[in-house]
Amino acid sequence: MAEPLEFSAMTKRYGAATVLSDVSLRLSPGRVHALMGENGAGKSTLIKLLAGVVPADSMLVRQGARTLPLRSAADAHAAGFRVIHQELNIVPQLSVAENILLGQPIPQRFGLLVHWAELARRARAALAELGVSHMDVRRQAGGLGTGDRMLVKIAAALVQDAGQTACLYVLDEPTAALNGAEAEKLFAVIGRLKQQGAAILYVSHRMAEVMDICDDVTVLRNGRHILTTEIAQTSRDQIIHAMTGRDVADAYPPRRTPLGDAVVCAAEGVSTARLTGLTFTLRQGEILGVAGLAGAGQGDVLSLFLGSVRPTAGKAVLSGGVLPTSPAQAWARGVAHVPQERRSEGLMMRMGVRANALLPHLTGVIARKGPERRRVADLSAAVNLKAAGPEQSLWQLSGGNQQKVMFARAMAGQPKLLLLGEPTRGIDVGARFEIYKLIRALADGGCGVLLSSTDLPELLGLCDRILVLQAGRQATILSPDGMAPADLLGALQAAPLALETT
Amino acid sequence: MISQLRQAGTLIGLVLIVVFFTVQLPETFLTARNLINVSQQISMLAVVAFAMTVVMVMTDFDLSVGSMASLAGIVAAVLFTADQPVWLAVVAALAVGVLGGVVNGVLVAVLGILPFVATLGTLTIYSGAAFWISDGKTIFGRDIPKGFSEFARGGVSLDAVGFAGVSLPYMTILALVVLAVVWVTLEHTTYGRRLYAIGGNAEAARLAGVRVRWLRLSAFAITGLGAAVAGLMYASRVASANPTQGAGLMLDAIAAVFLGMTMGKEGEPRALATLVGVLILGILDNGLTQMKVDSYVREMLVGTIVIAAVATSSIGRRA
Ligand SMILES: Nc1ncnc2c1ncn2[C@@H]1O[C@H](COP(=O)(O)OP(=O)(O)OP(=O)(O)O)[C@@H](O)[C@H]1O
Ligand SMILES: [Mg+2]
Repeated sequence: MAEPLEFSAMTKRYGAATVLSDVSLRLSPGRVHALMGENGAGKSTLIKLLAGVVPADSMLVRQGARTLPLRSAADAHAAGFRVIHQELNIVPQLSVAENILLGQPIPQRFGLLVHWAELARRARAALAELGVSHMDVRRQAGGLGTGDRMLVKIAAALVQDAGQTACLYVLDEPTAALNGAEAEKLFAVIGRLKQQGAAILYVSHRMAEVMDICDDVTVLRNGRHILTTEIAQTSRDQIIHAMTGRDVADAYPPRRTPLGDAVVCAAEGVSTARLTGLTFTLRQGEILGVAGLAGAGQGDVLSLFLGSVRPTAGKAVLSGGVLPTSPAQAWARGVAHVPQERRSEGLMMRMGVRANALLPHLTGVIARKGPERRRVADLSAAVNLKAAGPEQSLWQLSGGNQQKVMFARAMAGQPKLLLLGEPTRGIDVGARFEIYKLIRALADGGCGVLLSSTDLPELLGLCDRILVLQAGRQATILSPDGMAPADLLGALQAAPLALETT
Repeated sequence: MISQLRQAGTLIGLVLIVVFFTVQLPETFLTARNLINVSQQISMLAVVAFAMTVVMVMTDFDLSVGSMASLAGIVAAVLFTADQPVWLAVVAALAVGVLGGVVNGVLVAVLGILPFVATLGTLTIYSGAAFWISDGKTIFGRDIPKGFSEFARGGVSLDAVGFAGVSLPYMTILALVVLAVVWVTLEHTTYGRRLYAIGGNAEAARLAGVRVRWLRLSAFAITGLGAAVAGLMYASRVASANPTQGAGLMLDAIAAVFLGMTMGKEGEPRALATLVGVLILGILDNGLTQMKVDSYVREMLVGTIVIAAVATSSIGRRA
C-alpha cells in the first residue's frame, strides 16, 4: 500500500469534443488530493475513467513497478479503488440497509433466507462509523433526502472493505448537499482513512473545506492539467485563478434598494405533515434564508408556496391571496422554483437544455423554436452555462451545468417569489458569484426570495434574515449580521429553548 | 457518429427492404398501383400508430386501441341498421372513441393505475361491449349504406400528374391528414412539448407547472379518437363491422412506434419516425404476401425484425 498511484496520459473524447486531454495525476498514500476545476472542466470524467465506468481513449495506471489494467468497474474495485460518484445512485425501492450492503454477500439464515437482523446490524455499524445514528436502516431509501442519501453512499463505500483493503478513495462532491455538521463527520472519516494509509481524491466546489482538509491540489481547466501543488504552498485565490484563468470577485453582492413594503408571502402558525409553527412575513426584495440540519423540514417551507404541500393548520398567503393549490397555479402567479433534488424533481435528463429551461414558460398554442433558442442562449450566457448548444441533452452536461439549467429555468420568467432549494449545489466558485448577483438583481427588482441551503456562508452572505428550523419546528429567525458560519451551525444544533430570538 | 448511424439505421433498413422486394418482384412491386395499394392497406394501422405515438410520448401505453376500433365500427354499423344517417353514425362512433379514451385517461391519470393494467382491463371491456352491442354477429351487406362504404373505394384521380388510371385513395389521404395533425401537435405546439416533458420526468414536469393529470387524460382521449377513426376506416373498407376486426391493430401499432423510437435522438417516439415504422411493417407484409410466404412465417419474420431493430439501436446508446 505504500506505493503511490500514478495516472498518466488520461484522454477522453466525446464525439468532436475533447473533455480530458493528456492529464496526469499522482496520488500518494495517506494524503488527501483535491481535484479542482470549473463546471465542465473534466473532473467527473477523470473519475469515471479511473473507476473504469467509462472507457478511456488513453490512460496509463501504475502503482510502483506494476501497471494496473483498468478496463471495467470490477478491475478498479479489484485494484482497491472505492469511488463515490457525483450522481447519486441509490436503489429507491430497497431499504437503507440493503443499499449500504449492495454488492456484498447478503447475510443469510439457513443458507436460504435473508438474515434481516444481521443486515440491519451491519448497516448500522457502517453508519455509526460515520457518526450517523438518526437513520432507520429498515426504511426505504427512496424517502431519504439528498444529505441522507449521500451518507448512505459513503457508508456503502466504506463497508465494502470487509476482507480486502482499499488503497484509494474517490469522492466526487460528497459535501454538495451536506450541512456543516454532517460534513464534519465526513471529514473525521476521511482523516481516519488517511491515517490508515489510503490515498484520497476529493472533489468539491466549497473552497473553505478544500483548504482545510486537503494536502495537495490539482487544477484542471477545459480538460487540461493546469497546476499541481501542495495546499500549504498555495492560496485560495491562486487556486481560483488557476481554475478560471481570471480573478474572480468573490464578494457577496450587497443590497442596492431598500426592502419594499408589500408582503410577497407570509405564514402564521402554519403546520404541514413535517413542519409546525411556521410564522414569518417575506417583503418585496427580501431574501429570507431557511436553514436546518438534514430533515428539519426545509423542503416543506418551499413546497407550501409552490402548492405541492398543503398546510394542515394555520394561515398562509401568497401576494395577498390564498396559497396556490398546484405548482401550475404557483408558476402562473409568478412563483419560480429550483427544486432541492435536481435529478428526481427538476430535470428531464434525456431532453435538451431548451426544453428543460423553458418548460414552465411555454405560452400560447404554437411553440416556436427560433425565439426559444435565442432566449435560451441569453439565459445560458447569464448563468455561465457550458453546453454544446441549446439542444444538448442534460445527461451529457456536467453536474454543475445541470444545476445552472435549473437556475436558468427559475429566473427566466421575471418571478415575484423565488423558491430556491440548494440553488448553487455543485456550481463552481466563479459561476456561483454570478448566480448570487442574479439573485440579488431579482431581489433588487422587488422579487421575494426564500433560500434554503446547506451552504452556511452563502446563507450568511445573501440573506436579510435566516429562519432556523429544528426537527420540524421553527426555532427562530436570526439576523446574519456579524455571524460566522460556526455560529449559524451552532444555532441549527442548539436546543430550541436555549435560543435567543432576534 | 455512431449515434447518427444508429438513428439512420432504421431508415436504411426501410430502403433495403424496398430494394429487396424490387429485385425479387421486378414486375409487380415498384409500380404505382402496388404502392398505392400498400398505402391503402396500411392506412388504418398508420392512424392507430400515430394516435398511439401521442400516449407513448409520455411513456404510456394504450392496449385498448384495437378493441376500441372494433367498438367504434360496431356502433356505427348498429346505427346504420337502425336507419340513422351516415353523419350521425360517424359522429357517434368517434364520440365512443373519445369516451373510451377518457375512461383510460381517468384510470391512468386520475386513479393512478399503471397504463398497462388499466388499458388491458379496458381492452377486455370494450371488446365485450362490441360483442354485446352486435350480439356477436358481423353486421354487413345492405345494412351498410353505399355512401359509407364508398369512401374506402374512392380516391382523387392522379391523371393530372401523369399517373393515368391511378387514384390516391381517400383512406391514404385521411392517414396523411392524421399524420399531419399528430406531427404538428407533437412537434410544434406547447401541448406536445409538455407531453414530451411528462415522458422525460413526470414529477419534474408537475413541479415545473405542467398540468400532468389533465394532459395525460386528454392524450388518452386523442388516442381513443384515433382508434375510432381507424375503426370506421376498417368498417368502410370491408363494408361490414365485426366485433373482432380491430384486434390485430394494437400490437402492430406498438411495434411501429417502437421501430420509430429507434430513430429518436434519445429514443423518444416521433410522429414521422412512427411513419417509417408503419411503412416497414406494411411493405414487409405486402412484399412477403406477394412472394407467397406463408403467413405464419411472415409473422415470425416481422417479430424478428422488430426485435433486431430495437436491439441494434440500444447497442451503443449511452456509451
Ligand atoms: N456523454 C457525454 N457526451 C458528451 N459530452 C459529455 C458527456 N459527458 C460529459 N460531457 C462533457 O464533458 C465535460 C466535462 O464534464 P465533467 O462532468 O467531467 O465536468 P466536471 O468537471 O465534473 O464538472 P462539475 O463541476 O459541473 O461536476 C462537460 O463539458 C460535459 O458536457
Ligand atoms: Mg462533476
